[in-house]
Amino acid sequence: MKKNILIVLSTSRTTSRAIDFAVDKAKKEGSGLVALYVIDTGLTNEVFDRFTDIGFIGDKPSTRLTEAIMKEYRQRGYEEIGKVQVRAMEENIDFDAVTAQGAFVEKVIEVIESHNVSTAVVVKRKTSGFMKYFSRSVVDELVEKAPCEVVVFEEEE
Amino acid sequence: MEIDRRSIWVLLGLKGLRPLFFLCVLLLFWYVVTMPVPAGLTPEGKNAIAIFLLCLVFWVTNVIPLAITSLFAIVLVPLLGVLPRDEVYGLFGNEAVFFILGAFILAGAVMHSGLSNRIALAIMEKSGASPKRLLISIYLLASVLSFFMSEHAVAAMLFPIVLDIAKGIGLKPGRSGYGKLLFLSLAWGCVIGGVATFLGGARVPLAVGILHETTGATIDFFTYMVAVFPLVAVMLLVGYLVLTRAFRIDVESVGKAHELLARRIHAMGKMSSNEYAVGTVLVLTIISWAIWGSTTGLATIALTSVVVLFVFRLVRWKDIEEYVNWGIILMYGGAIILGSALERSGAAYWMAEKVIGGWVTSPLTAIAIFSLFTLVLTEGISNAAVIAILLPVAIGISGRFDMDPAIVTYSIAVPAGLAFSLPLSTPANAIAVSSNYLTVRDMAKVGVLMSLTAWIVFNLAVRFYWPLVGLGS
Repeated sequence: MKKNILIVLSTSRTTSRAIDFAVDKAKKEGSGLVALYVIDTGLTNEVFDRFTDIGFIGDKPSTRLTEAIMKEYRQRGYEEIGKVQVRAMEENIDFDAVTAQGAFVEKVIEVIESHNVSTAVVVKRKTSGFMKYFSRSVVDELVEKAPCEVVVFEEEE
Repeated sequence: MEIDRRSIWVLLGLKGLRPLFFLCVLLLFWYVVTMPVPAGLTPEGKNAIAIFLLCLVFWVTNVIPLAITSLFAIVLVPLLGVLPRDEVYGLFGNEAVFFILGAFILAGAVMHSGLSNRIALAIMEKSGASPKRLLISIYLLASVLSFFMSEHAVAAMLFPIVLDIAKGIGLKPGRSGYGKLLFLSLAWGCVIGGVATFLGGARVPLAVGILHETTGATIDFFTYMVAVFPLVAVMLLVGYLVLTRAFRIDVESVGKAHELLARRIHAMGKMSSNEYAVGTVLVLTIISWAIWGSTTGLATIALTSVVVLFVFRLVRWKDIEEYVNWGIILMYGGAIILGSALERSGAAYWMAEKVIGGWVTSPLTAIAIFSLFTLVLTEGISNAAVIAILLPVAIGISGRFDMDPAIVTYSIAVPAGLAFSLPLSTPANAIAVSSNYLTVRDMAKVGVLMSLTAWIVFNLAVRFYWPLVGLGS
């Protein structure tokens, strides 16, 4: 089965350097390229809870609001995947796209296992030196748990 | 089926964390209830403090919904003998609770009719193709709408429109200065406008309800507006200057947004008779609150308007149920019960003396300290919870300086709504950050400056403006 390079895009993390790296690596190794866009539902659930539990807003406006956010995230996902697809077509690389909703680490590992991924390319949010001691990124968790090589890029300013 | 891949020890630890937390809170509660009564405090006062601490922990940590925390107060106050059962449930039917309920039903009717959406679109569309004018129109619109309905409802209503505008003019999430400006102006407009009247959020009626139950004094709709409007005007101006200095308008034209708004207005068709009627009821209600609020009662007017809405079939019960979260009755009823329990048992005065009595040397320092505490606390927890926690204590200390408790109420109720820095402080901030056009860091950077400005402006208003309108003189 042909090996794949996975480029992971998400609601809040993306960088063109990571996409370039993944495309170049896939071309060099003769692998396929898989673009995964993860929609973080935790964020929308949090917004819904804030409006209902703290703002005491009824279900209808809160639901409309979270639907608007989800719609926006999905559209952004298609746009991001589209960019990668164009690059893959230009370089004549086999391409596959997956969108997933849910917890970041779980969804990435699922795709790594189902698509025979040899290298996953992910983007990490920039954190200040001070905050690094107090917060653990989901990307760190992915590096620890992923059954393949994980290349991490820091997000661009 | 999703498989949880975390280690069994992590899973067991996480499962055990919540019960462990509740056990610790229960032990703390039990310790306070069973400890000897401190000097100067009654046994009822000590029990009231135990209930207060329990609610404080749950409101701050948010481990259970705010409204359910209030239920603890409703259950524990009679159970521990702080107040008789009849009195507790009598307080639950406080006028403030019914005013809040009526105001939320009215706001729900306005939203359901589509009137608020139409007004928002029409005003934004009038701003033309100028980025600066569009920005100002969103900022002022969010603010002015929050004078008449809950600021949270305004944020929820305007967010999808602003999101469409940002997309329509091709702003890059996280990178565009104009994108940050649009969403921050939406959030801050709601926050600043929300403190202008009793209607922006339920926090002001809650504060007035606690004031009334504990001292018998009250603040009417019109007096509150006169006291707070200049402050709101200054904050709006300062907010605009802070935002436009911090982030650059990096677009030349917003012509596409203008077209998009025009299309949306066209799709809404002509204004319906239902919209006209609901708008008329709302305007008449606000006029009645301002003129007859102090004599007839705010709740009576609000509920009369609700009855009118149903008599003329302008709204159905099913529609209202979708727009009003009934947990609000529990939250605000419970908060008023807790405030009354603290005051009537003498616990509020005792706590005020022990906690901040040494720092407060004059009425002005008392107001400066209360407003500062409130501004800091409201960044971390719900603004209604801040009022429930701080106001009884603040009213407790007002007697020492012969201060009007209404002035103390303003110094908690107004700053409690001014949360600018963090997404967890108020839903409007949370929604702005969830757009991904700005980060928490962007918000905190300008928000801290704004909170500091709010504190200074508020205390200047207390010192120089309020005596001019007969407050605190």
